[in-house]
Amino acid sequence: MTLWFVFALMTVAAIFAVLWPLGRSGRAQNQGSEVAVYKDQLVEIERDLATGLIAAPEAAAARVEISRRLLAAAGSELVSEPKSSLKWRRAAAVLALAGLPLVAIGVYMPLGSPRLPDFPLAQRERGSGMAQSLENMVVQVEQHLEKNPTDGRGWNVLGPVLQRLGRFDDAVRAYRNALTYNGESAERRSDLGEAISAAAGGVVTAEAKTEFERAHALSADDPKANYFLGLAAEQDGRKDDAANIWRALLAKAPADAPWRPLVQTSLARVGGGGATLPALSDETLAASKDMNEGDRNAMVRGMVERLATRLKQNGDDVEGWLRLVRAYLVMGDRDKAVGASTDARQAVASDAARLRQLNEGLKTLGLDG
Amino acid sequence: MTRKQRRMTIIGGSLAVLALAAALVLNALRDSIVFFSTPTMVAEKHVAPGKRFRLGGLVQPGSLRRGDNLAVTFEVADGGAKLPVAFKGILPDLFREGQGVVAEGALDDNGVFKADTVLAKHDETYMPKDVADALKKQGHWKDDYGAQASGGAKPAATTAQGNSQGAVR
Amino acid sequence: MIAEAGHYALVLALALALIQSIVPLVGARLRDDALMNVARSTALAQLLFVGASFIALVTLHVNSDFSVANVYENSHSMKPLLYKITGVWGNHEGSMLLWVSILALFGGLVAAFGNNLPLSLRAHVLAVQAWIASAFYLFILVTSNPFLRIANPPIEGRDLNPVLQDIGLAVHPPMLYLGYVGFSISFSFAIAALLEGRIDAAWARWVRPWTLVAWIFLTLGIAMGSYWAYYELGWGGWWFWDPVENASLMPWLAGTALLHSALVMEKRNALKVWTILLSILTFSLSLLGTFLVRSGVITSVHAFATDPTRGVFILLILCLFIGGSLSLFAARATSLKQGGLFAPISREGALVLNNLLLTVACAVVLFGTLYPLAMEMLADFKMSVGAPFYNLTFAPLFTLLLLAVPFGPLLAWKRGDLLGVTQRLLAAGVAGLVAVAIVWGWARGGSALAPLAIGLGIFVIAGAVTDIVERTGLVRLPFATALHRARGLPRSAWGSALAHAGLGVALIGIVCETTWNSEYIATMKQNDVAHVAGYDVKLDGLFQRQGPNYREMIAEFNVSHDGEALSVMTPSKRNFTTRGSSTTEAALLTRGASQLYISLGDTTAEGTIAVRIYHKPLVLLIWWGPVLMAFGGVLSLSDRRLRVGAPKPARAKQRLQPAE
Repeated sequence: MTLWFVFALMTVAAIFAVLWPLGRSGRAQNQGSEVAVYKDQLVEIERDLATGLIAAPEAAAARVEISRRLLAAAGSELVSEPKSSLKWRRAAAVLALAGLPLVAIGVYMPLGSPRLPDFPLAQRERGSGMAQSLENMVVQVEQHLEKNPTDGRGWNVLGPVLQRLGRFDDAVRAYRNALTYNGESAERRSDLGEAISAAAGGVVTAEAKTEFERAHALSADDPKANYFLGLAAEQDGRKDDAANIWRALLAKAPADAPWRPLVQTSLARVGGGGATLPALSDETLAASKDMNEGDRNAMVRGMVERLATRLKQNGDDVEGWLRLVRAYLVMGDRDKAVGASTDARQAVASDAARLRQLNEGLKTLGLDG
Repeated sequence: MTRKQRRMTIIGGSLAVLALAAALVLNALRDSIVFFSTPTMVAEKHVAPGKRFRLGGLVQPGSLRRGDNLAVTFEVADGGAKLPVAFKGILPDLFREGQGVVAEGALDDNGVFKADTVLAKHDETYMPKDVADALKKQGHWKDDYGAQASGGAKPAATTAQGNSQGAVR
Repeated sequence: MIAEAGHYALVLALALALIQSIVPLVGARLRDDALMNVARSTALAQLLFVGASFIALVTLHVNSDFSVANVYENSHSMKPLLYKITGVWGNHEGSMLLWVSILALFGGLVAAFGNNLPLSLRAHVLAVQAWIASAFYLFILVTSNPFLRIANPPIEGRDLNPVLQDIGLAVHPPMLYLGYVGFSISFSFAIAALLEGRIDAAWARWVRPWTLVAWIFLTLGIAMGSYWAYYELGWGGWWFWDPVENASLMPWLAGTALLHSALVMEKRNALKVWTILLSILTFSLSLLGTFLVRSGVITSVHAFATDPTRGVFILLILCLFIGGSLSLFAARATSLKQGGLFAPISREGALVLNNLLLTVACAVVLFGTLYPLAMEMLADFKMSVGAPFYNLTFAPLFTLLLLAVPFGPLLAWKRGDLLGVTQRLLAAGVAGLVAVAIVWGWARGGSALAPLAIGLGIFVIAGAVTDIVERTGLVRLPFATALHRARGLPRSAWGSALAHAGLGVALIGIVCETTWNSEYIATMKQNDVAHVAGYDVKLDGLFQRQGPNYREMIAEFNVSHDGEALSVMTPSKRNFTTRGSSTTEAALLTRGASQLYISLGDTTAEGTIAVRIYHKPLVLLIWWGPVLMAFGGVLSLSDRRLRVGAPKPARAKQRLQPAE
């Protein structure tokens, strides 16, 4: 209520600012004119002459010049009768009384949030009854850790949350601290490595790789470390090494491990070379059926879609097309796979070498003709 | 002098100054403009050694080597090609492997890019614009990396999908 | 309530500005005093409301009210109070609010102190101001509203970009804006003159002081921005010819030209049409600068294309005002009364030359700024125009200008005597040549041009001194008379001499810094000693410290010169947790006008740290020069007397007396 009262007061003040001069009619006001300026200039010349700043001949010349202008100005000075046009003044008054509040309300209402109270820091610290979002809780944990930086458990909790929020650099720091205050463990090392590579936009940097190697040294079976070492190998272009690492990982993995399909897709991805057909074994295809229910499905699909979009813009990439077709096959979507291979053929149709490469690739995928 | 003559003098003077400025600009445009290239463009166009240009791309992961006395070498890649870069001095605060970078300098006779300035991204969401544009244009945007990141992060449990591209806008 | 009241005040200001844009013009047409006077009260009310709105935003930032999106995005509860306040204009929305607040301030000043203006001129001027204001209020409300709220307020803000958390940034944007926006006054006067179809003497009397105010602030703002870049960015550069810097330099160049042409107009009633055109151009360049900085077009043409609302809005404002005013100029300029006559060799002529060189230099900078953008958009290839381009174009033009500077003030109005002036400048010329010889003999290495440039700087300074000596007759007349005349000398004469000397001072600083700057870059470990330009810099150790919203690593250096211990320098690297970014805080040791500059690089695993140490001789002159110029401007501004330029009589005997 107070707010509306304040608004009303402000509006009245604004209207008053327009109405006030309208009310003070016709009184002659002191205003500047050209003649006054030239007269001032003449006085100024006399003063300069008196202090010896200009010599008499120059003063005389200036006086002549200015007097000439003075005469001209006096001649052309508008014999301005202050008129008062009541009709227009009324119009202006109406504009102020009606138009001003209309504009103000019309602009303010869609933009403002008059119901929202202020929420300054002081008040916020008192009342904490409100529902707190994940981010707020993170902030509180962070503030707690700021004061107690040696609380290893806190860092343990914070790391994964930050990772999920996408604050990878902070997650890296949290994992580092967790390592410092909780001691070594393969899991923490590989979490740290994951955060580092996430911070680098998904690239397993040398730094991240070191962490995974340490984790691997601590526990040769740590799945995350193994997976990422494979990824590192893939990014370095050593696809066979990657495939070997992942194949070993799958061999040792429990049958119901939630990350199995992921490793299998990855394996399928590097399976372009000679030794890779096993990647498309029945096992993989079978696994892909489970994936359709799993919530990783969306993720993989997103990846595939991105690839598809990219290829639509730039169709020269034979490898990319093959990867796309393979992905559709893995996902059990044979129609799309066939569609993609048709698109691919069209895209590279003009380039004989590429077309041949594409056809050979498609043949190995079992999509002949 | 008549009014007309005076005016001609002033106009003549103005034209002279303008002509001088135009000559200076044209002369400067001939040799002091620095073009922007990516490694792929360098490979395609065979830039002559000694010609200054700006090189943009991503720092190839694993390529950073530090030598004595602040000498560093690294490779800049744009998905299509790589180019070795040598630099001596302090790298910017935010220089990292796998991140965007712009270096200014020239190629030497061995095809190594001798940089005298290296600029890295300014903050978490900033990539040197030249790099971002060039990568986008070539279709080498971070799709590959992004896909690997979202596909990759996962054996254990936490996911960061979508966000993995947060470092690059 | 504060947030909403501030928001509503801004909306009311828009409504008032709309009324102010129309009613006074109707009044001027009908010659109705009351309607014309509406301009005055609405301008004052506008100032009140925008001021309230700005204060509201400051209060919200101080209170860390994160229910306001702008505060949430740019503040943090742990941030020191000073940066909570300066953070208000450290972001886009807040800085635009500051922009319109300053616009309203200038409008309010015209309304409050414009009593000696003809009524219709004042009405026109304020109406034009209101057009500009309306456009920018709309821009703020529609695309960059700082008062938008968040329904579920977060508990902590995202903090201001750490690079911006610095005292230099606290004062530099308001200064720049006072400059940019100050030129709106001369713009409004120019448009008003075109609308009325006449320029009277009162016009000239007003335009120069306002231009001068804007120019002083712009000069200081640019100098401060450059000093900020110098110590905050950590590599000792002070000017990068970066588009953002160019955006502030261009209005300065045009504004300096305007200042001089307005002088001719005020004193001699000449160059009227040109002054009007310059007023329009100067403010247009200010608008262009706002557009370049605010639309994001500089960061990337493509970024601009993906989120174009803001950019397109400002571009529209830009086209509307620049296009509109230039067409108005084209249509009406011929109908304006022509001014007085003068010979090419005269004070007026010299000022025309000054204007020519300044505007052409400005055009060159404009070209260098826009050419890469145009190339990227049209030809789709990228390039950058950097220092080498400007060294080859801007520098020669400015050299010509500096050569001419000492001659101008010594020439007489209307018709001058170049030979006589040359004779009087002989001493200054000799001083310059002596300086060249001394520097040549003393300096080892460096460019051959450096001594010449320093000689030029000395010549400019000595020329300014000559100007004062000639006016007071210090050499010719008895000392007492000279003193008397010095006292009677208008402060504006001292002002212009100081401003011209400032140019020379800055030039000397620039040349010394770029030519004899010594640099030491290496990794250091504890107790290592670096030798730079006669200084011994010893690394004592590295320490960690916790700041209010950052952690920092401090390196402590002991500096000695010839075995005599001087000082301890502590550069640091700060790590801001909230944004996860770091800044480098350089340490500066000032000795005279020279500085020793240390900034830190990375630490290595073995406990060594990369260090950059620079010795920058006479570097402070670079900023003392502009400060001197601004001080000259203030002196000139404080001179309340009317300025009249007495012409040299045509047939009078030649006198040695200089004309005032």
